[in-house]
Amino acid sequence: MASQGRDIVDRNIDRLVPVGRLKYYFAVDTVYVGRKLGLLVFPFMHQDWQVRYQQDAPVAPRFDVNAPDLYIPVMAFITYVLVAGLALGTQNRFSPDSLGLQASSALAWLIVEVLAILLSLYLVTVNTDLTTIDLIAFSGYKYVGMIVGLVSGLLFGKTGYYVVLGWCCISIFVFMVRDRQTLRLKILSEAAAEGVLVRGAKNQLRMYLTMAIAAVQPLFMYWLTYHLIR
Amino acid sequence: MSNFEQFHSDFYQSSYTIDNQEGYNSYGCNENLCGSRKNPTGERPRAGAFVTSEILLSSQSYTGQILQPTYSPDTLSHLSYTNGFDEEPPLLEELGINFDHIWQKTLTVLNPMKPADGSIMNETDLTGPMVFCLALGATLLLAGKVHFGYVYGMSAIGCLAMHALLNLMSVTGVSHGCVASVLGYCLLPMVILSGSAVVISLQGILGTLLALFVVGWCSLSASKIFTSALAMEGQQLLIAYPCALLYGLFALLTVF
Repeated sequence: MASQGRDIVDRNIDRLVPVGRLKYYFAVDTVYVGRKLGLLVFPFMHQDWQVRYQQDAPVAPRFDVNAPDLYIPVMAFITYVLVAGLALGTQNRFSPDSLGLQASSALAWLIVEVLAILLSLYLVTVNTDLTTIDLIAFSGYKYVGMIVGLVSGLLFGKTGYYVVLGWCCISIFVFMVRDRQTLRLKILSEAAAEGVLVRGAKNQLRMYLTMAIAAVQPLFMYWLTYHLIR
Repeated sequence: MSNFEQFHSDFYQSSYTIDNQEGYNSYGCNENLCGSRKNPTGERPRAGAFVTSEILLSSQSYTGQILQPTYSPDTLSHLSYTNGFDEEPPLLEELGINFDHIWQKTLTVLNPMKPADGSIMNETDLTGPMVFCLALGATLLLAGKVHFGYVYGMSAIGCLAMHALLNLMSVTGVSHGCVASVLGYCLLPMVILSGSAVVISLQGILGTLLALFVVGWCSLSASKIFTSALAMEGQQLLIAYPCALLYGLFALLTVF
């Protein structure tokens, strides 16, 4: 009877959450994670931002440093909650409830951001192959910068926090602009064969949207961390 | 609904007894349902049920894979005329508590540099983890923090999350019980940390260093056992990091 219950749970889980697709985002190894983290903090030297494809399906993150993954965003989110708890603890404002509070508020902001991006993509009627999970992954990458900023704020005080956070804001902006573009323009390059002039206006709109999304990231980074550094 | 009309038509005493009987009947039905469900769920490994009582464990059917049978067929035939009480296996064996294995697993945890034997973790044993969790709660209590509920909640959520992550990252899956067992055993250094928090205050540099060291120790042993049991090469650090996050949460609870 328990095995029947488990079968029912498994079947319904498969309907709600595409486990197979999720497995793709977690197929990472240590080398990829190291390179991706380096890219998130210092994206200025990277030349080739194209995601490699293999028979029309993107290659697993293990083999391509440009592919999005979910391991880093999830870990970064939980680390952010932990570092927030640490920051609160050093200021004697810690209680186990506050951990839950930080976690839920950060999660709520993440959901709001992903929904806002989805809405704007829908309004602009752009066809991309950016799935929701990709958007969650991209929105989660800024937590890495937030953590670095918070840790330096804990170690070096307010000036350290502002300097490092400023640097991370710039890097996440550059990262978003360049990485997002390759995914978006994949669709565009196929349509470009038919007629570039017709798509000109839409192309510009897409650029503006990418810029807007990339510009919102530093705002979120500041909003979610400034109250932890006093 | 029908007995409500009866209440109006009958005398007070008779409707009272009818209600009483129906009340008893429904209570009996619930008992049966719970009873019939308890045995199968007792067999299925639970996610992070660290603080459930051992009574539920004892209702598991005896699987006999933990120890060699301590009674041979000779003694069985010798004792066959007194069936029932004497034929039952010893209590600890029936409960599935094998002190030798528990001690072995504890030693594996305490020495993360030694390569682990992946087969020890095949048996999902929740006794050791439960003892360690209760010890953690007790040492926190000694330091003046009543955090049993938080320990329970964080371990349950941590087990679920770790189980999901390991199933997503590995080729072969794991069961909840295995994850709970491994994470619970590797909680032992955290018990040592909270024990030391009773004596010294952990809020200085020394306390932070000690906490970091203990968190690293816990996550290193947990990731070592996981990678050897799941055969994930090149991902030990990736498994160690979520374990470190989980044990870091416990350390936060202990230090602050």
